[in-house]
Amino acid sequence: MEISTGRRIGLAIRKYYMAYLFILGPVVLTMVFLFIPMISSFAFSLTEWSGIQPPKFIGLANYQRLIFHDRKFIKSFINTTIFVILGQGSGPVFGLLSALALNQRVRFRAAFRTAYFLPVMTSLVVVATIWKMLYNENGLVNFLLKMVGLPTTRWLMNPSTALLSIIVTSVWQGFGFETVIFLAALQAIPKELYEAAMIDGANAWNRFRHVTLPSLRPVIVMIYIIGIIGTYQVFDQIYVMTGGGPLNNSQSIVGYLYDNFHYMKFGYASAVAYILFAILALFSYLQMRFLGREE
Amino acid sequence: MKKLLVLLGVGLVVALVACAAPATPVPPTATPPTEVTTITFWDYYGLAATPFTPEMIAAFEKENPSIKVKYESLDWDAMFEKLSVALTTGTPPDVATVDMTWVPTWASLGGFTDLGPLSGGKVNGAPFNEAFTAGALEAMTYEGKVVTLIEDFDVYCLYYRSDLFEEKGLEVPTTWDELVEVGQELAEDTDGDGAPDKYLYGYWPDAFRWSQFLYENGGSILNPENTEAIFNSPEGVEATQFFVDMVNEYHIAFDIGEEEAIPGIKDGRIAMFSDGPYMMGVIKDGAPELEGKWKVAPHPYSKQPGSYLGGTGLVIPVRAANKEAAWKFIEFAMRLENAIGVYKYSGAAPGLKAALESPEVSVRDPYFGDQVTLPVFLEATETARHFPYVRQWNEMYDIIGEGVTAALLEEKTVQQALDDAVAEINALLAE
Repeated sequence: MEISTGRRIGLAIRKYYMAYLFILGPVVLTMVFLFIPMISSFAFSLTEWSGIQPPKFIGLANYQRLIFHDRKFIKSFINTTIFVILGQGSGPVFGLLSALALNQRVRFRAAFRTAYFLPVMTSLVVVATIWKMLYNENGLVNFLLKMVGLPTTRWLMNPSTALLSIIVTSVWQGFGFETVIFLAALQAIPKELYEAAMIDGANAWNRFRHVTLPSLRPVIVMIYIIGIIGTYQVFDQIYVMTGGGPLNNSQSIVGYLYDNFHYMKFGYASAVAYILFAILALFSYLQMRFLGREE
Repeated sequence: MKKLLVLLGVGLVVALVACAAPATPVPPTATPPTEVTTITFWDYYGLAATPFTPEMIAAFEKENPSIKVKYESLDWDAMFEKLSVALTTGTPPDVATVDMTWVPTWASLGGFTDLGPLSGGKVNGAPFNEAFTAGALEAMTYEGKVVTLIEDFDVYCLYYRSDLFEEKGLEVPTTWDELVEVGQELAEDTDGDGAPDKYLYGYWPDAFRWSQFLYENGGSILNPENTEAIFNSPEGVEATQFFVDMVNEYHIAFDIGEEEAIPGIKDGRIAMFSDGPYMMGVIKDGAPELEGKWKVAPHPYSKQPGSYLGGTGLVIPVRAANKEAAWKFIEFAMRLENAIGVYKYSGAAPGLKAALESPEVSVRDPYFGDQVTLPVFLEATETARHFPYVRQWNEMYDIIGEGVTAALLEEKTVQQALDDAVAEINALLAE
């Protein structure tokens, strides 16, 4: 006998009602705090809205202005992209190198692992505040440079060094996360693969090149997906250390979004958020596609 | 069966009525229980320095038993964001402290209650124009409506290290030329790199400090109609050039930059700076070891005295739930004994004229070499101007800061930096 769809759903609900009950809470919370605001935010991005007076529909004008006319937004996009390239170009490499070092039979391995991971667990605001002190005119960085006779600068106030200084802080703060992930992945690589490679006469570099790296590929891709998405949303350390200055030289996309919120331009800020969303969606798609092909 | 049901129903109704209505009527209570209104008050002064002390709030509640105050302390930084969200979502507090520079943005969007009808134009029986100075009243008014009452005022004067001045036999500068001369006499190069690094004039490249030089040189940020930026005028260029020259040509000024002023004050990098009366409290707390070594004076000028005029205002958001009770609280805060608390607890200058003229605030201050400090700031209010009351002010403030920074860093000439900033602001004002 054919069972109708409605009856099938009814049976499923009766059978799994406890499971549905359990997921109801998270689903409602996700709807209320994520999907509904996301949809509302898109609607606001098509308006001019101060937050207090009623929104005025202006179509795609916010997007058009941001992409074609807003030099501050373009600058914040370039800064963020530099942040991503330099941050993701160095952070995972440091993470991998330290994981390789810790994967050896070194003494105090647990202590080193904890030391590398400690900055990750520390609040980014705390880390940024400490580094701000290190970078200031009479801070440790300049003190050390003076000791060896090198020129000093006010790192966070110099347009040429501000962004780079924040990137250094961020890499220092974050690479412990990559270390731990890589270390776990390294320890999961079967020893037999290395033994077979050694029998075939592979030296250390070849073992790394042909055994370690291919085995780590899924982890590397995962780390880059998380890293790029996270870095495109960089905000806290910039807000604390430079506020985006000097002359917007360290401003990020999210920092620019925040500024527009501060100017009570909620429609425009929503459009910035959606452009960021599009950038992240594009990167995620490309990376997932790349990962899929590799697998 | 039907009859039984009807009987049961009737019985039930009778029983309910019997329960609801007592046989003997109870006489009404002599005084009906008073309904208590709770007002929410957001304060950014900080728990250690607020004039809204628990004692002051308790005294208000005692005098107004039908009103309870829910006091919430917020950081100055956090207040703007939190109040923005609250005004947007329609869940604002009943009373809030706001920086006077925020008023134009919110007032232009209709975020604050017009206090005129609520107060009858009076505070504690005194008309607004008698209770506040003319400058303060102007700053409190947006498009003819009084939208805030000023709790403390902010106007910039010169803070200087009087001990160093005495030691080096220097007079307090009154003109820009004298400022350069004195600055050069004071400044010292302690590490021998050719650039003075001690006893400098501390500044931030922001609209607060820069506008002082602009006003002192006869310039203006906007035209009188507030429709066009005009600070790239010859007066503006000259003022900005002087500001830039203090740093790059005369080497007498120090960009406080990413630090707070206190470390520079403590280690002697800063020997002069321009700031408001609130800074007296900050410096006393931050550098107590320098007691007796600082004084305040009118800021030196080229053509005329000038400063921005701001401070802290008390507002009732337009969507506040308890406006009447909120006004009562504001009025209580504006009583002489409470307004004096601004000086007593925050070290700032009270906005209420009677409090400013009170002998309790005109006291010799041992930290400032027994100087009576507030009259110096009070005098400066006579020539001070509030920032332009336009909705776009927050964004304009950032654009001006970027322009001044570009000139200071010599990324652009002064003229170019100001022209670019003016063009950007004019585009903004035209929106």
